[in-house]
Amino acid sequence: MSSTSSSDPRTRATWRWGGAIACLLVVQSVVLAGLFWTLASGSHRREAERGFAQDCRTFSGIAAPGRPEELREELVRDVHRDRFLALFMRDGTLIEGNVATLPPAPAGATSFVAPVRPTQLPGKDSDVARLAVCAMPDGSVLLTGVDLDDSEEALRVVERSLLFGIVPGLLLAIGIGLFAGRRAAAQVDAVRALTERIVAGDLRQRLPVGASPDSFGLLCAHINAMLDRLEALVLDVRGVGDDIAHQLRTPLTRLRARVERGLRDPNDPGSVEATADAALAEIDKLLGIVAALLRVRELEDHARRSRFAAVDMATLAEDACELHRPTAEDRGIDLVCDVLPVAAVEGDASLLIEALSNLIDNAMKFGPPGGRVTVSLREDEGRIVVAVADDGAGVPFGERALVTQRFYRGRHDCDGAGLGLSLVKAIADLHGFDLRFADEGSTVSLIGPAEVQ
Amino acid sequence: MTHILLIEDDAGTAREIALELAAGGYVLTHCVLIADGLVAARDGGVDLLIVDRQLPDGEGLDLIERLRGEGRRIPALVLSALGSLDDRVRGLRAGGDDYLAKPFALVELVARVQALLRRPNESRDTRLIVGPLDLDLLDGTATRAGRALELLPRELKLLDYLVRRPGRIVTRSMLLQDVWGYTFEPNSNVVDVHMGRLRRKVDAEGEAQLIRNVRGQGYVFDVVV
Repeated sequence: MSSTSSSDPRTRATWRWGGAIACLLVVQSVVLAGLFWTLASGSHRREAERGFAQDCRTFSGIAAPGRPEELREELVRDVHRDRFLALFMRDGTLIEGNVATLPPAPAGATSFVAPVRPTQLPGKDSDVARLAVCAMPDGSVLLTGVDLDDSEEALRVVERSLLFGIVPGLLLAIGIGLFAGRRAAAQVDAVRALTERIVAGDLRQRLPVGASPDSFGLLCAHINAMLDRLEALVLDVRGVGDDIAHQLRTPLTRLRARVERGLRDPNDPGSVEATADAALAEIDKLLGIVAALLRVRELEDHARRSRFAAVDMATLAEDACELHRPTAEDRGIDLVCDVLPVAAVEGDASLLIEALSNLIDNAMKFGPPGGRVTVSLREDEGRIVVAVADDGAGVPFGERALVTQRFYRGRHDCDGAGLGLSLVKAIADLHGFDLRFADEGSTVSLIGPAEVQ
Repeated sequence: MTHILLIEDDAGTAREIALELAAGGYVLTHCVLIADGLVAARDGGVDLLIVDRQLPDGEGLDLIERLRGEGRRIPALVLSALGSLDDRVRGLRAGGDDYLAKPFALVELVARVQALLRRPNESRDTRLIVGPLDLDLLDGTATRAGRALELLPRELKLLDYLVRRPGRIVTRSMLLQDVWGYTFEPNSNVVDVHMGRLRRKVDAEGEAQLIRNVRGQGYVFDVVV
């Protein structure tokens, strides 16, 4: 333990646990003892009172002269010597019996507890007894009673056993409290040490979770799941940040070098003009990257649906082909447009053509020169399929999950910031389309949502 | 003299716009606050509004809406750093006639200003004869000084668009938006390739150049008088 001061919440927890268990134990013992005592003494008293009533009846039924004799015999029969029997005259003078004086009896009680002066117990001139007094028909008074030594002894035994029981109970309670408290404190310590490391930036840390976790273990498992997600998000953000920095740094470096070189010869107007032109072109490229990034983010937010309307995909595909045809011809690529009429799609025509235009652009860029690029539109099992294929091998398998990430560039021998497919993916997601790469070949498809009719 | 009212709170942007428009022969009044802009617009004589959206005393679109509410149909070009297309739609719904997202090229701004100023007078003729060009939009034919140009339908539309805006810069995004009907930035020079073909057909070797490329920005149709 690093600290045991009372202000340490872990110590307080230990004492709280121990104290609570101890209190519980004490209360339970006291209640149990009380219950035991009440039940035991109640039953003892009832038994005694039954005996007293029996004595009164017996002695009342005997003629007055025979009573002392009967009383003596009764006392002889009391081998345990725990009974008190005495016959007094009306004025309190002892006629016969083993009690010296008649104790004052409270009115109305069937029996009462009072000290008596025994006459036949050697070395004992006072004893506590439960007593009863009854009047005999001739006016004399019979005192009958039973020594309480036995029941007191029983009470003492109970007390003692309770006392002896409570001490180990308390120790046990404190022990359990210490154990439970320390266990909780150790768990909290472990979590705290780990979270401190996480706060310090080490997101790879995870909380220990046992094979059969308790509720605390389940909590730790949940925290771990949260950390997994957090780590992924942070990595993502970090990656995007790094990517943006790298992407902007290259053109910025070029731009700076270009301007610097151009300014070295300020008297040559041609050089200055060429520099400014090149700088403008670079700046436009930079602005293009920033704009594309913002657009991907905007689309990923799924916020842009205000321009959604019914879009005729056939016209859109034809337009996309028409837009790219001159470029394809210039590059010696055979752009084939295989368009079948399909149902209208709810969407944003400008975004959809932007996605398709990106796919066509990629196919022409990455397909083999002089090859063929096919744009096809058809309906397949109620789903609209827009596919773009070239003669090439398509995106290599290992890169298919990567190409839709921002700034991923499969090849670096072409222009572009590597944002095209992430834009396509974002547009597809926004429209509920799937972006799919064929298992074989270069076909990339946008597959519409199953028709809801 | 065309009078433009600019309401823009960023001094740097305002200065660049003012210089560019002054060079184009426009008279410019610049306000920073919506309140001042309203006063200036109500004074009359303003032909065009250029309004930033985020102004110190409120939302620029509110100014346009209030002027529209008062029955003043001054064409308005909305500027905004909120470049998302949803904002664009909102801007146009609020009564803006065109929308330009920051950062923008000054040439693009001037081109759109020209387009807005011209818009109400645009003719709907189906036969255009400008200089040596003769366009018959119904037949879909075009000739230059009697020589048939053999234009594809899209090329004819492009030429029609240019011919109706003589001497003015037409940007790629304007062409894509108005001739094709889509608003997006292609990541390759597809529009330029179309324009290149059109130019080769219109301006044959040895002929005066009617369609001029403005480096990096767009195209101008030069009227030959």
